[in-house]
Amino acid sequence: MKETRNFSSPILLSLLMIAVLGFLWSGDMAPTHWLPEAVASEVAAEEVATAEGADAAQELKLRPAPRPSREDYPDVGTSSRSIVWIIAQMHLFFGALVLAVPLFVLVIELLGKSTGDARYDDMAHEFMKISITAYSITALFGGTLALALFLLYPDLMAYLMQAFGAQMLVYAMLFFMESILLYIYYYGWDALRYGNAKWVHISLGLLLNGVGATLMVMANSWATFMMAPSGVNEVGAVIGNIWEVMKGPLWNPINLHRFIANIAFGGAVVGAYAAYKCLAARTAEDRAHYDWMGYTSNFIAILAFLPLPFAGYWLMAEIYAYSQQMGITAMGGILAWLFIVQAVLIGTILMAGNYYLWSGMSRTEGSKRYQGMIKYIAVVLVICFLIWVTPHTLILTSGEIAALGGSHHHLLGPLGIMPAKNIAVNLMLIFTFLSFQIYRRSDKVATVSWEKAGNALMVAIYVVAIANIIFAGVYYGYFTNTVYKVGASVTQVVSTLVVIISGVVIDAFMYRKAKTLPSFWGQVSNRSQYALFALPIAFTWLMALMGYVRSSVRTHWHVYTVMKDNSPDNFIPTIGYAGNMMTIVTVMFVLFVLFIFWIASLSNTKQAPPLPVTKKAGEAA
Amino acid sequence: MGKNLQVWLVAFAVVLIFFYGLDHLVMNMQGLPLNIDLTPSQ
Repeated sequence: MKETRNFSSPILLSLLMIAVLGFLWSGDMAPTHWLPEAVASEVAAEEVATAEGADAAQELKLRPAPRPSREDYPDVGTSSRSIVWIIAQMHLFFGALVLAVPLFVLVIELLGKSTGDARYDDMAHEFMKISITAYSITALFGGTLALALFLLYPDLMAYLMQAFGAQMLVYAMLFFMESILLYIYYYGWDALRYGNAKWVHISLGLLLNGVGATLMVMANSWATFMMAPSGVNEVGAVIGNIWEVMKGPLWNPINLHRFIANIAFGGAVVGAYAAYKCLAARTAEDRAHYDWMGYTSNFIAILAFLPLPFAGYWLMAEIYAYSQQMGITAMGGILAWLFIVQAVLIGTILMAGNYYLWSGMSRTEGSKRYQGMIKYIAVVLVICFLIWVTPHTLILTSGEIAALGGSHHHLLGPLGIMPAKNIAVNLMLIFTFLSFQIYRRSDKVATVSWEKAGNALMVAIYVVAIANIIFAGVYYGYFTNTVYKVGASVTQVVSTLVVIISGVVIDAFMYRKAKTLPSFWGQVSNRSQYALFALPIAFTWLMALMGYVRSSVRTHWHVYTVMKDNSPDNFIPTIGYAGNMMTIVTVMFVLFVLFIFWIASLSNTKQAPPLPVTKKAGEAA
Repeated sequence: MGKNLQVWLVAFAVVLIFFYGLDHLVMNMQGLPLNIDLTPSQ
């Protein structure tokens, strides 16, 4: 059955965005109240005084960041921030999904090409089906977000247009290219399937991902400019070129963090699709196919997730380096409690991912060799999870403080600070990788002569890395000064990475010509499929949570230190209020995703043709 | 000494030396040199 799809919405939105941005960039809508006139002329005079000749003329053109008053914000009868919050978060969820899916689809397609196994190609094509439906929704939320921002925060948007200038037009044009490439990539799949045509298709996929990644880093630069502006002076006047404005101190940490997180998120969402199809399958063949698809999705999600905490750590380290005050707002003040909630959500993700792997081991008889290890892995994961969620500072009544003998518990208090949590996080990642490794080994028997030596080396790496992580965390974390405490966390990260990389490399060589035991796809419990549903929900909630933290660290600034927020919402929302917002956007996203799954299934559904009408005996006469 | 034991001992020795060197390398790269017993240099 030929599918038909409405191309118009993303392309029309692209054109609309280009037109709106072009119109605004022309200066017709530049605000007239950048600064009170007296202040503006004072700033200009100062600039002139410090410049000479041609420079003075140039300086006169500098415009400081606007200083809107409360009246300059349109009143639409409800919180503007809440409106933008919901729309922006939905756009971000879907944007993450549609940028990530083509990334691993391209890898799967390449795998299909190199192995000649058509199943990979079919699976990659099916993954793209989800992405293509989500793309229209991304575009709709993106267009709505742009309109909402221009309506509700005109001064901020005008300032960002001034700072980024033509880059925004380039963004809109790239969005146009993304649409064209995405549709050709998806609808040209069968037309460009074999021989050299396949390479053309793969090249299109590469171009699509190149454009997608560029879109992402460009949009990231707007967010990081608001957090840590660069290329502007102390009053916000743009003094650098576009590159200097974009490459702020937080740009690359955010780029890396979002790039990895998007892949993990995309893998989790398509995993839920596979689980949905697996549970709804009516034939053993379909169940086997979607079981395999779910396994691949979980593989992508967990593999991308393993290095994510390190990227997050780098981002926080850069935030502290840029502004210690901003870092403390995030991790030492009101927002610190959210990192405990974050631990609960990441713990949920790791538990669900591990549980899925353990359940999946039932697909092969060979897993019996490793099943005894599962209970020990579970114990370590639970202990580490409990350490991670232990808060440092408790919210207590005076009676409770008296009963406790202080604001910190004498035994559990030390578990509330970063060294303990660093140990817990790294061990959880190592033991998740161990689950992953024994799962991968379950259906194989090594035939190489050095199997015992390889296993001894692998065990030694696990044991020494774990000892090193605990030593670095306890000794440098509790018994030396802060500089060594922070520095030692890097050795912990490196130890975990050594385990992961060496595990992949050793297994790749050890099982190169291994004997393969039969695996029975579809022979898996339904409970394991529910774990695949838990992953995207926890990921979505986590993204909403950390998005709230990232945005809140700007406190009462639109653009940190250069443009104040004077709207009625210029404060960090309370945790309870934010929790409700996060839940609303998560539920909305899940509902939209269910709609996408339904649409994706609908395109394969055929109505039975009507039976031929038979004339009654009386009519024939 | 059995061959198996030798394999295990060599594996652990190699990995211990590797991680010891790694700790020194990573801390030195951050300007935080360590003494031979891995205590911070004063």
